[in-house]
Amino acid sequence: MAAATPSSLVPDRAMHHKRPPFWRNVGVLKWVVQIVVLLLVIGAFWFLSTQALSNLDDKGIPVDYNWMSGPANIQLGEGIDTVPNSAGRALWSGMVTTLRLAGAGIVASTILGVLIGLARLSNNWLANRAAGTFIETLRNIPVLVQMLLWFAILTSLGDLVNNDPETAANEESGPIPGWLYISKKGISLPRFFWADGFYQWLVFLIVGGAIAMFVRRRIQAKQNLVGGTAPTASVPLAIFAAFAVVGWFINPVVGGIGNVFDAMESAWGSIPESGMRIFLSVAAVAAAALWIKRFLDSKRSPAGLAKLTDDDYFRMIFAGVAALAFMAFAWRVWPGGASWLINSGSDFWGWLGDKFGNGRNARPLDGMRPTINEGRFSNYGPTGWTMTVFFGSLFLGLVLYTASFIAEIVRGGILAVPKGQTEAAMALGLSRVQALRKVILPQAFRVIMPPLGNQYLNITKNTSLAIAVGLSDVVQVGQTVYNKNNQTLAVFGIWMAFYLICSLTISAIVNFVNGRLAIVER
Amino acid sequence: MTMTDTALSEELASRRDMIECVGVKKWFGDFQALGGIDLTVKEQEVMVVLGPSGSGKSTLIRCINRLEVHQEGTIVVDGIELTNDLRNIDKIRSEVGMVFQQFNLFPHLTVIDNITLAPIWVRKKSKVEALRVARELLERVGIPEQAEKFPGQLSGGQQQRVAIARSLAMEPNIMLFDEPTSALDPEMISEVLDVMKGLAESGMTMVVVTHEMGFAREVADRLVFMEDGMVVEINNPEDFFTNPKSERTQLFLSQIL
Repeated sequence: MAAATPSSLVPDRAMHHKRPPFWRNVGVLKWVVQIVVLLLVIGAFWFLSTQALSNLDDKGIPVDYNWMSGPANIQLGEGIDTVPNSAGRALWSGMVTTLRLAGAGIVASTILGVLIGLARLSNNWLANRAAGTFIETLRNIPVLVQMLLWFAILTSLGDLVNNDPETAANEESGPIPGWLYISKKGISLPRFFWADGFYQWLVFLIVGGAIAMFVRRRIQAKQNLVGGTAPTASVPLAIFAAFAVVGWFINPVVGGIGNVFDAMESAWGSIPESGMRIFLSVAAVAAAALWIKRFLDSKRSPAGLAKLTDDDYFRMIFAGVAALAFMAFAWRVWPGGASWLINSGSDFWGWLGDKFGNGRNARPLDGMRPTINEGRFSNYGPTGWTMTVFFGSLFLGLVLYTASFIAEIVRGGILAVPKGQTEAAMALGLSRVQALRKVILPQAFRVIMPPLGNQYLNITKNTSLAIAVGLSDVVQVGQTVYNKNNQTLAVFGIWMAFYLICSLTISAIVNFVNGRLAIVER
Repeated sequence: MTMTDTALSEELASRRDMIECVGVKKWFGDFQALGGIDLTVKEQEVMVVLGPSGSGKSTLIRCINRLEVHQEGTIVVDGIELTNDLRNIDKIRSEVGMVFQQFNLFPHLTVIDNITLAPIWVRKKSKVEALRVARELLERVGIPEQAEKFPGQLSGGQQQRVAIARSLAMEPNIMLFDEPTSALDPEMISEVLDVMKGLAESGMTMVVVTHEMGFAREVADRLVFMEDGMVVEINNPEDFFTNPKSERTQLFLSQIL
């Protein structure tokens, strides 16, 4: 009897189907929160920037970027251009110094870190303890203190030119005068230059490299069929070397390639401005559409399209809005952007064209010895490879500090590979080197890569400590610039954009490598 | 010595020695894991090693391919004595296959790459030939359809069968099994044991450390019972289970059967 059933136990179908009021509806709330947060972020940014801009305007310092092309009146301690003719050029010189420092730091600290990490794992007692001491000492002292220490040490080196009249007046010092100098002005070595024929020679290197790769593939394919050992390294290397050597002497024969680039220059330059804008708009919309399509594809399984959540819709809408925002930027906010793109593209091809068609005797590389000018290393022209004490103290501080962290990361990564993997490789008869190359390292890399990427980001950001010793990096130059023209906000914008681009590039590379190394599991 | 003699049938005794251990001793720190092992494994023999945990079974077979280094006594494998000579060690390792309790497959390689790695790099086989052999072996262990998967996508039983195929790809004369079914779910044990039985029937020389008494009774030519790093009893399966010689073996059997 239905009537006997207590009514509270019967599911109330009507209640189930009634829509909850919107303030309790999770689906609605999610959307509201997303939109409110987005509006708050945009609004806050808008408010702060307009406030700052109008305040500065009131003080008679309008924020713009026109000063970039104006005269700089700055002299930099070192860099690609120590007497820049514009503030923008000065900042660019600072950026190049920062990038040099970060790039050299990343390479050197990786090599040093890997070696010390392996030494820390070594059975050799001395190597093990030495590596342990290195790590524990260097990672426990602040990097700024280390940089200042290196600066103090490097600046206490001998004079570059001995000015003491008692001994030998105006005599160049340095271990090997004319070849190697180690002094309180820095270290300078002979170096190679890319000379006039370099780009023509590069064509030979690229073609030779491509042919060597092709031959290597063929040799490998044959080895796959017949087995045994095959010259997969020596023959391709010999081919590449042959191209390099022959190209060294006959490189002017490819000078005609410059005409292709010159044609590209004029073709690029003849693109109409509206054409470029339309192309950019189409590209933005196409990118958004492609993103949405790939996103939907990733949700699609053999069973059909998965039910999309509110978040999924929000992401797709955001992609569309981003495309529209980009179009607005290209048409309204920065109308000159299109012609800037056309001009710089055309300049690029012209620059490339200029690199070719140099005379018959264009040598690809030239060697240069250090030169000294009025008691200092020469900044420009054919001179040696110089590391100043400013760059040197930053470099040593960053590299030794970061290497101690990388060593621990490498050690942890190798220890993270289970012992059974080594045993299985050994039991199969693989040699120690083969086991390391084929079994241990591929697995260790996947553990090492993410924290290693963090260290690369740290190095890049820590280069801004250059200001402590007065190296002309992007921060120091920027400060000098805004002290002169009061464009603080504009310089901050440039700094942020610069470091953001550097960091995002490093992250993207690390993520890409990491994705390639990932292990498939259920 | 007398124990060994009684267990060896005349037919078995006439065969060639594949593994010969004489007075093998091994210490871990001050703990003695092996207290002087004398043992001979004949060609095409299946020897099953039994014993409580910590009795030195695993240590013994790990010494046979030098994953552990014995400190006293001699081990001769297929006529080659295990010494510190790297060439001898490499030779023995590429002729002795080993299957581990934890499979130890290489997780970053597909099943087929796991199997072809050593034939290509150690035996210098052609890739085509190595792939052909690998597919045959996968067929033999009953999982040809899993070739392109990664170990992490397989069940434990499938992984162990891949591990067996990987060892067989080196065409070993001897196979060592270190508790091959101990890490498996019960329903997967039989699929691995079946593969091992097939291998025994094909005439492979095998040394198997296991707790599977059914397998031991059915497949083994001789059983070795170890305790505290010593061989307590060597016997044929029939006598071992029905009429064990030592009291310690009787106690062990009464606990597990």
